[in-house]
Amino acid sequence: MVTQRVDHKWGMVVDLDRCTGCQACVVACQSENNLPINTKDLFLQRRAYEWIRIERYWEGEFPDVKARFIPIMCQHCENAPCEPVCPVFATYHNDEGLNVQVYNRCVGTRYCANNCPYQVRFFNYWEPVWPERLRNHLNPDVTVRSRGIMEKCSFCIQRIRRAEVTVERRERSNLDYATMKKRNFLPACVSACPTNALNFADQADASGPVKEYFDDVNEHPHNEAHDRKTRGYRLLEEMGTKPNVIYLKKVDPFPLRKGVGHGS
Amino acid sequence: MKLTRRNFLAWAGLSAVGAVACEGFGIREGEFSLQSPVSLPEDLVRGKDNWYATLCRTCPSSEGIVVRVMEGRAKKIQGNPLYPINQGKQSARCEAGLQAMYHPERLAGPMRRSGGRGSGQFEPLDWTAALDIFKAELQQNGDNMLMVTEPLRGHMAKLVDRFTRAMGGQHLAFDAMDNIAYQAAVKNVFQQDSLPDFDLANTNFLLSFGADFLATWVSPTRWNLGYGEFRQGEGRKRGTFYQVDPRFSTTAASADQWVPVQPGWEGYLALSLAYVIISEGLQADGVDVGALTDGRGVGALDAFRPEIAGSRIGLPDRLRGETPAEFIVGLAREFATKGPSLAIGGGSAGAHTNGLFNLEAIYALNYLVGSVGAKGGIRFNPAPPIDDLPASADVASLADWFSAAEGLNGGRTKLVVVHQADPVHGLPGSLQFRDALNRDDLFIVSLSPFIDDTSALADLILPDRVALEDWGSDIPEPGPGYQILGVQQPVVNPLSDLDPRSSADVLLSMAGELGKQSELPWDRFEDMLKETSKELFELNRGSIKAGSADEFWNTMLQQGGWWDEKATSSARTNPPAGLFNTIAAKASEPRFPGLTPSRDTFHLVPFSHISLLDGQNAHLPWLQAVPDPLTTIAWQTWLEINDEDAARLGVREGDVVVVSSTARTSIRVPVYPTPAVPPKVVSIPLGQGRRDGPDAATGRRASESSNVMDILEPSQVEGTGAFAWANTTVTLTPTGTSIKVSKFEGIVRAVEIGNTEAERIIITVTPEEL
Repeated sequence: MVTQRVDHKWGMVVDLDRCTGCQACVVACQSENNLPINTKDLFLQRRAYEWIRIERYWEGEFPDVKARFIPIMCQHCENAPCEPVCPVFATYHNDEGLNVQVYNRCVGTRYCANNCPYQVRFFNYWEPVWPERLRNHLNPDVTVRSRGIMEKCSFCIQRIRRAEVTVERRERSNLDYATMKKRNFLPACVSACPTNALNFADQADASGPVKEYFDDVNEHPHNEAHDRKTRGYRLLEEMGTKPNVIYLKKVDPFPLRKGVGHGS
Repeated sequence: MKLTRRNFLAWAGLSAVGAVACEGFGIREGEFSLQSPVSLPEDLVRGKDNWYATLCRTCPSSEGIVVRVMEGRAKKIQGNPLYPINQGKQSARCEAGLQAMYHPERLAGPMRRSGGRGSGQFEPLDWTAALDIFKAELQQNGDNMLMVTEPLRGHMAKLVDRFTRAMGGQHLAFDAMDNIAYQAAVKNVFQQDSLPDFDLANTNFLLSFGADFLATWVSPTRWNLGYGEFRQGEGRKRGTFYQVDPRFSTTAASADQWVPVQPGWEGYLALSLAYVIISEGLQADGVDVGALTDGRGVGALDAFRPEIAGSRIGLPDRLRGETPAEFIVGLAREFATKGPSLAIGGGSAGAHTNGLFNLEAIYALNYLVGSVGAKGGIRFNPAPPIDDLPASADVASLADWFSAAEGLNGGRTKLVVVHQADPVHGLPGSLQFRDALNRDDLFIVSLSPFIDDTSALADLILPDRVALEDWGSDIPEPGPGYQILGVQQPVVNPLSDLDPRSSADVLLSMAGELGKQSELPWDRFEDMLKETSKELFELNRGSIKAGSADEFWNTMLQQGGWWDEKATSSARTNPPAGLFNTIAAKASEPRFPGLTPSRDTFHLVPFSHISLLDGQNAHLPWLQAVPDPLTTIAWQTWLEINDEDAARLGVREGDVVVVSSTARTSIRVPVYPTPAVPPKVVSIPLGQGRRDGPDAATGRRASESSNVMDILEPSQVEGTGAFAWANTTVTLTPTGTSIKVSKFEGIVRAVEIGNTEAERIIITVTPEEL
């Protein structure tokens, strides 16, 4: 018996205008994906792990100063620079648009991290350690990575797999956005985000929150031409990596460069 | 099994069969060729997971959560999608409930002090012996008891209140940054006893003063939820948001415009806005300015004309190219004409000697723009569904703590019972609460599951269960605009090597044994909750439809509580007559004790840490490791200072300075210069500097982990007795030493990625360009 396959292509849309930099996604990810505890030593060694991180950029000088936040996770590029350099095919592109890391193939060359323009890959320089009792809360769905292994955001593939196995294969039902959301199959960061800045769905799902943006950005591949209908853009678009993550531009009624006052 | 050639071949054969079988199970062929099926997690994980609804206890507001439980272990915490306050969303703090549960340094069972007080030497004893000691102490000194707890609402508040009354003692709820001034302002301006909700999702112009409402203030997850809609909600125009704040907080960073005002002058700015609105006749339709000003009109606010206020409140000479007076006029016009508008205030705006005036002036603005009780404005909350359940945490003021310390020092208080509060760490140093507790004629019982600065001084520790193992309830404050009762249930049992006992049950059993059943007629805390469940069932309304009381109870546990969207507040929205006159008459400048700000002194604006809050979460590794959104610093404290001030002092990032306050105390803190601090203002987060407790909270050098509370002036907000925690001025002295700051910034190249400039990472557009 061969089951009917449903083709998916997953995508994330990050609305920068909603993001407040609150870090809820960061901790949700660490909890869901068994990330090693970022000790003070890891911070001092510049080797803290955050599959999703909030970057903060300063703009201007006091008093006309702004800080901007952007959540950055693996962009799951269609043309992923990390993939061709892996000598053992530990990282590859699957047919659902995910850039997948196979831990038991990884031999730790770190070529992929070197080649990633988004710097979202983290290498386990040490064996991750949890105090014995804390191991109780580790997620049984997610492998704990050992020393010498590269790791990164997986779009919570364990949740996606659970969704496909449960809904499509066992229940023979339709895995639409409402089902993903209601039955908790969305990635942990998306589910946590209190402002709904993070959105995740199948790029072809018209009932989901991402299709409109992927359609627009794919139809108008050159952002500089200003012909897009939405605020969508891809990070470092000019590199041609074609990420499966789309960012929505931050709206700022008072940009610093233009010096807009109340009167003007 | 030994790997022989024969074995190897057999396994190789089996794998090939497995490959064919797995194709039949629906694994894609393409993936199968690259990934062995045995590594697919869903094939390996045994057991079935269940999600149980309960409440989070690591946030200032208790949020509804669901906990994933598998084989008796809690695995993941997420927001409860049904719970009206947070609607499935969560903060960074919620998840860490797991770490509290499985913390390696949780206290295993009851302990008795075996060394000198505060020596940290304890010996274990069994529950029977421990409870006998507690009972004897209650019997002997119950009427001289001081019970200290965290801010309590719902059933625990009722229980503790009745317990202390039955014993004849006193109850003080501890909150390092209390909302007493805010509550008083709400009472004076809106005549409401419970805090209001804000309809951010429908607000068009949001003006916030000092409240870090997107990070730590009052109910941050709820405000974040509304904020998302405020920005990009479907079918509405994007809202505009100004944050008036002497500190560039996480919330200020999200604002369209940060308005750096001098600390303590927020109320002057608010009344100046009111002046412009009234003088230009910009008030909303139907607003009776005559009634608001007792017929005096704009004359009532003459002292707050923008020309006068603008020069006093310390706005920068040029803000967006405008002078302070121009800016105030422009802001007032936007606020009045771009409605629905909403003005909110809290945090440091209410933590000055004149904090009550500031907050009243801010909230009164809502009457001028007609947003009181209106869509996109202030939404009142009704009284709780059950009469005798406290819906508002009755938090002790600084004045209360002073008299408590007096009671201790005078030897009148003989017994202190502490439940999950750490006043030794969280009260201003000059109150010397540690010394007050450090007496031989005092018996201290701690009910905390962890050692903290207060329980380290205890004679007896009776470790409580943590939130995921215990019963509880909450009436959220603020509520969502209608009646609600959240229920907390034990979702897992404590691990077998731990023997904690629910403090609520301990108090009930003590009351029973001491013959206080008339006040506390329940055997267990669960019974108390069940009784309420029955009362709610009999109301026969709200979110739960059930045929029997048992069914009602089970459904309530499943859903995480009960609420009735129709039970809203019927409060009238008429302002008190002459409101603006009353407030203007109250106007006063902030009075900073001792030092007057000069070239070498700075205003100190402390703030609640985004994940550690006042330090209550400092023992949880995940929350120590959360980078502060603006500085990205983790695991340590820091002092935010303006770039130019830092250059003048000759200090750079990581240089340790001695921060000395007028309270004649000092701490050592490393500096973090940023462009977003006003000149003459410095900020230090709360949360670090614990002396005792788990390694995550304490295992660092003094300069990395100092407690800003140690140097705060014990000033009070006039008219309330609340703690004016933003009322300290300090001097900075470089020490010449430097430490490496532990921060996320720099781990990835954050300013430039590749060859692309930073501004190409976060692309911005103006509303006109859309």
